[in-house]
Amino acid sequence: MTLTLDIPRLETPRLILRAPAPGDIDAYVAFLTDPERSWGFGTEPDRPKAWRWFAMNIGHWALHGYGYFTLELKETGEPCGISGIWNPEGWPEPEVGWVVFDGFEGKGLAFEAATRAREWAYTDLGMTTLTSNIVPGNDRSVALAERMGAWFERSYHNVNMGEDMLYRHPGPAALGLGSDDDGSPEAYA
Amino acid sequence: MSTPSAIPVLTTEHLTLRGYRETDFYPFAAFAASERSRFVGGPQTRDEAWRSFMAAIGHWALRGYGMWVVEHRESQKVVGRVGVILNDGWHEPELGWHIYDGFEGKGYAYEACVAARRYAAEHYDITPLMSYIDPANTRSIRLAERLGCHFERDVEVRGKPCQLWRHPGVEGMA
Repeated sequence: MTLTLDIPRLETPRLILRAPAPGDIDAYVAFLTDPERSWGFGTEPDRPKAWRWFAMNIGHWALHGYGYFTLELKETGEPCGISGIWNPEGWPEPEVGWVVFDGFEGKGLAFEAATRAREWAYTDLGMTTLTSNIVPGNDRSVALAERMGAWFERSYHNVNMGEDMLYRHPGPAALGLGSDDDGSPEAYA
Repeated sequence: MSTPSAIPVLTTEHLTLRGYRETDFYPFAAFAASERSRFVGGPQTRDEAWRSFMAAIGHWALRGYGMWVVEHRESQKVVGRVGVILNDGWHEPELGWHIYDGFEGKGYAYEACVAARRYAAEHYDITPLMSYIDPANTRSIRLAERLGCHFERDVEVRGKPCQLWRHPGVEGMA
């Protein structure tokens, strides 16, 4: 890539969260154009539109300084999902998002990645609160959000997804990431 | 982080072709919402326009070239966008242009296209370029003719019929 973007490389026990690379495109396209897997994330109708989504995420990084990382499985080097901080036009506020590609679900990889992305947003980006937007019926994502300590706050109309549920994550202090940990009851268990 | 710094800046008599700033979205969104965008995939809602705008920045990262923001030097107003686009599904890299409401008829598209086309030939080795034109877009056809292009063939882009116009090579450029 010609443009050099300042996208960090984060690690978890099993994953690397890194900048999207041109070699990831096929994996993204397969996910984004598969309505069964991507309905809760936003399905793209065809490869050109999925390519555009891939380019958009890079633009999101360029202008916001954050976006979606590619999740790379350390063991095999394969791209296995997407997670990061997302805040396109019309969004209520920045959210933590996560997705695992076909064949990688049920291993706790999304939890591992999203928890790391959230920590990065609080400690490196200086964000003070985060949300996750979840489409009604996406029970797996609700379970993951709750496992991360997030709670249902309200329903609203999302410009892209229609009726959407906004989950609120515990803040940096409650997670023990801030300097003024107040020990509030929503503290991360 | 602001404008990706690797987008080159080109200067012409009246214009600066440059990279992206967050505030460039507002005139783009106004254009994308208007009937003026009907030949370039519009009109678009604000969130669709935002996605297009961000994708145009990502295009630079993925292809190494893309659409510049065109700014009028004297007033520092953004008058449109010009550049080279190779979206997935395109036949080959395209020289594209759109000028925002209130800035047409001054030759800005021509001036920016000449600079962008020459830069693409000299720095990206993309020549001769083509431009997709909707046959109903008579203004763009007139500009293509002024740029020395000729109609080459009818094509389909994402299922939509349009014309492919061929630009001159380096030796025939203005």
